Amino acid sequence: MPTEDPVPTANDASEEAEEDDYMNMVIAEPTQPRVKETYTQRRLRKQRESEAKGRVKSKAERAEDEAAEREAALSRSLLEDPATSSTNKGLAMMAKMGFKPGLALGSKDNPGARLEPVGISMKEDRGGIGLDTEKKRKFREEVEKEGKRVKAEEGDYRERVRKEREDARHEGQVGAAMRVAERMHGEKEDEETFKAGGAPDEFVGDGAKRRAISTKPLKQINVLWRGLIRKREEKERDRRMRYDLHQSLSRQPTYDDPDEDKEDRRALGKDVIQHTLVEDLEEEDPELDAFNALDPGERLHKLVLHLREQFNYCFWCKCAYPDEEMEGCPGLTEEDHD
Amino acid sequence: MADRRPEAEGMPQAKRSKTGDLDPAANPYLAHMYDNGDVDSRNNSYGARNGNNNGARSQTSLADFKRHATTAGQAHAAEDGPLNPLNNSPLSKQYFNILKTRRDLPVHKQRQEFLDMFHKTQILVFVGETGSGKTTQIPQFVLFDDLPHFHGKLVACTQPRRVAAMSVAQRVANEMDVKLGEEVGYNIRFEDVTGPKTILKYMTDGMLLREAMHDHNLTRYSCIILDEAHERTLATDILMGLLKEVALRRPDLKIVIMSATLDAQKFQRYFNDAPLLAVPGRTHPVEIFYTPEPERDYVEAALRTVLQIHATEPEGDILLFLTGEEEIEDACRKISLEADEMIREADAGPLKVYPLYGTLPPQQQQRIFEPAPPPARPGGRPGRKVIVGTNIAETSLTIDGIVYVVDPGFSKQKVYNPRIRVESLLVSPISKASAQQRAGRAGRTRPGKCFRLYTEAAFKKELIEQTYPEILRSNLANTVLELKKLGVNDLVHFDLMDPPAPETLMRALEELNYLACLDDEGDLTALGQLASEFPLDPALAVMLISSPEFYCSNEILSLTALLSVPQIFVRPASARKRADEMKALFTHPDGDHLTMLNVYHAFKGPEAQGDPKRWCHEHFLSLRALQSADNVRQQLKRIMEKNELNLVSTDFNDKNYYTNIRRALVAGFFMQVAKKDATGKTYKTVKDDQSVLLHPSTVLGVDSEWVVYNEFVLTTKNYVRTVIAVRPEWLLDIAPNYYDLSTFKAGEVKTALQRTLDRVKRKQATKRDR
Repeated sequence: MPTEDPVPTANDASEEAEEDDYMNMVIAEPTQPRVKETYTQRRLRKQRESEAKGRVKSKAERAEDEAAEREAALSRSLLEDPATSSTNKGLAMMAKMGFKPGLALGSKDNPGARLEPVGISMKEDRGGIGLDTEKKRKFREEVEKEGKRVKAEEGDYRERVRKEREDARHEGQVGAAMRVAERMHGEKEDEETFKAGGAPDEFVGDGAKRRAISTKPLKQINVLWRGLIRKREEKERDRRMRYDLHQSLSRQPTYDDPDEDKEDRRALGKDVIQHTLVEDLEEEDPELDAFNALDPGERLHKLVLHLREQFNYCFWCKCAYPDEEMEGCPGLTEEDHD
Repeated sequence: MADRRPEAEGMPQAKRSKTGDLDPAANPYLAHMYDNGDVDSRNNSYGARNGNNNGARSQTSLADFKRHATTAGQAHAAEDGPLNPLNNSPLSKQYFNILKTRRDLPVHKQRQEFLDMFHKTQILVFVGETGSGKTTQIPQFVLFDDLPHFHGKLVACTQPRRVAAMSVAQRVANEMDVKLGEEVGYNIRFEDVTGPKTILKYMTDGMLLREAMHDHNLTRYSCIILDEAHERTLATDILMGLLKEVALRRPDLKIVIMSATLDAQKFQRYFNDAPLLAVPGRTHPVEIFYTPEPERDYVEAALRTVLQIHATEPEGDILLFLTGEEEIEDACRKISLEADEMIREADAGPLKVYPLYGTLPPQQQQRIFEPAPPPARPGGRPGRKVIVGTNIAETSLTIDGIVYVVDPGFSKQKVYNPRIRVESLLVSPISKASAQQRAGRAGRTRPGKCFRLYTEAAFKKELIEQTYPEILRSNLANTVLELKKLGVNDLVHFDLMDPPAPETLMRALEELNYLACLDDEGDLTALGQLASEFPLDPALAVMLISSPEFYCSNEILSLTALLSVPQIFVRPASARKRADEMKALFTHPDGDHLTMLNVYHAFKGPEAQGDPKRWCHEHFLSLRALQSADNVRQQLKRIMEKNELNLVSTDFNDKNYYTNIRRALVAGFFMQVAKKDATGKTYKTVKDDQSVLLHPSTVLGVDSEWVVYNEFVLTTKNYVRTVIAVRPEWLLDIAPNYYDLSTFKAGEVKTALQRTLDRVKRKQATKRDR
């Protein structure tokens, strides 16, 4: 097809028409074998048709039709409508006076002359000036806002999931750092006691056992890893309580039966059970609460700093450096060690 | 609004300085309502002066005036008397009292300036705000310079409204100490109060246009003043177009275009850069307030605002603009009720509420000039009056004492669209110019406030700059007929200030062609010539002219008069049922026109004429409308007699009495026909295919297949009002050109008409065979 030719020729048109025909080709439906309509069927059909035709439209429907007709008529120029313009005697008279469609009336030097009649707008309520525009504007804004909100929510979700994952990872690293800190502190303390020449108690060497039941009040432990100790103690306490419960037969271990005598007590094993509940655990610990309220990343950062300052130990390099300069360690953060 | 002339405040206040001194009798717009004893009893010795005769010259103080070379000083001296410069009779005391107030008017200061310009130019544009005194003073300034009586001419001053023409003429007659109808007169449709001595004639713009039809060069006049040109009425616009041409043909004719708005440049440009003289009005600054949000219900917001002003603002009257009679009456009632409660419970000052709209009887219109009520008790909060009016309070009426204006931004405006051929009144947003005029009303007495019930953004964006002139909102059939009669043949290039859309002219020409007033060449036919003699719409005129053929010209004459006046049926909200019962007494089942005719016949009967006032009151009819119809009938009858149209009636007992009237109606209104559609609920207008309902006020049941309607009204629904049942045969018979079936679109209407046509043909065939 000679598409580069901007002037459509007759040939073009016919080609296009052919093409159109091809595009619009309708596949004929297989013709239904004509079923003869019985008298009753026809009567029913006619009845249905006339009912549809005679159906009284509701007021709203009529008003709608009215408005639609009016709008249609108002938007149709009489000059362009061939039905009116060709036969209109008024237009013919105007043509004799020198009128040409598309031109305005009046003097040629009047640029403001109208080509179209003044429109009709029907006011159906008592809304003030600007209310309709305002309503439209509000609606548009609402739509825009809704669109933005959906988008924002999508972004939020991704961000939230990412943060959750990050936090969980940090939480694990905090736990690890706490254990390192505790161990290094323990070693340091032991060393100090040893250096001081103080007789190590009977449990020296059995670090795990010593640590299991802390002799030190929780509050004296550095808040950085106090949480670790506390958690462990809580666990230990729960374990013991469970154990006691199992040992105490079916009764509350603290239950004081007036009928029991000394023998009964021994028989029930009541006399041997010692309640070594760590009182600290019941106490409020605002310092720890405040620390735990911090972001896991922040807590991790504090721990890392503590380890470096106290032990010249880099949590990320996983080694202790001989001096404070910590030469060879790339930096404070995990990223530095990537 | 800025006070463009602050020194005006220092000037002595004219006439009334306080609301308490308001004297309605001093209001020029109401002057026609006061019989002035002084004027009547004065010694009017006109014998000395002989009309338009130079012989009178030697006897008056104007004798040695040189035409178009006088000064303000000369005029001043002549006005100072002691003898009337027009007729040498001694001047009354009242004259000198008025003269003092006249000299306080803003225009007076610029009298010399006006004269200088008037001398130099043929066409002058004069801008003066309401209250500047231009309507009453400028024609007198012209009179003392143009001296028309020495040359057998007149000075004309046009007004858009009949009431204004009457009142201002009366006022000016008082100012000049002459009897109304002698030196100063007025001429409005159906009323001519002028005489052989008349030298200054106030008239409606429509009347001057009618005169021009017979006197294309307006040779009777030496000067024509078009007042209130800013209102841009249809007649003023046509007159301007005409005067532009006449000015070329008559270099001796002086023309003054007076406008109240500063949009005067448009007038200047239109009149080939005519010089402009502006006189400031006496205005004070007006502070304008907008609402922060658009209002959901402008009426409710308006009432709230009015009551709030009453509760919180200092002394000063309120003017509220609403759109129509019903809305205004309703608002008045609600404000009164709320105000009573405020007085009882919050010790607010007394509040008087007055409605103001065009169809209100003059005595009631006059009440708006009553002073505000005094405090309820000595030392109590001051009283206030509220005027709730249509836009007639916008430019034309001057009400002193208004300090607060509440403007919801709407008015009822006429609209016409040639595409659906409907001319109707619709509530529409006002223009920026209108809003400014409204605000200006608050600054007449002292600095005021205007509360606009829309946002500033809406004011800037939603309001059009200027109200569309009437010519763009009207059916021009009548205008085209007038222009043809005025000798304007090239309607397409007739230089109008705002030419209408081509479609509007096309419709008008088409309509006149169908009415056989114009032939296919666009020339006036004999019928068209005759129709233009009547101050009526072409359809009414054609109906009246054809009525003798239907043996009912008496009845059609009455009907034409009835259709030319406001609604004759009164239906107060408080007594609707009773009013409907009374109307039922006159009801004719075939339609509203016949019902109106029954009313008129009863009104002219001996029982009603015994005490027309009581009779009308009892029957819920408007005495004013009926009397006015009576008057119109007289005038039309005279025109009919002049044109040798016979006044005939069918015998009342003849079975065709009413049929003839209905057929005669078709002769004029065959283009306003609707046919019931298949559902039987709505009607479809013929040719335009618009769905319409019969107006609830009709007496006609829905069982008439074809109706002729007088009006297509757009409200929330499309209604046709004042309808009458007709037969389709009549349409085909009486208006065969319009009902040429080949021009109809296929549809119900065409099918029905075709069937009728076939039936008629069959009947004729059988008749012939017999």
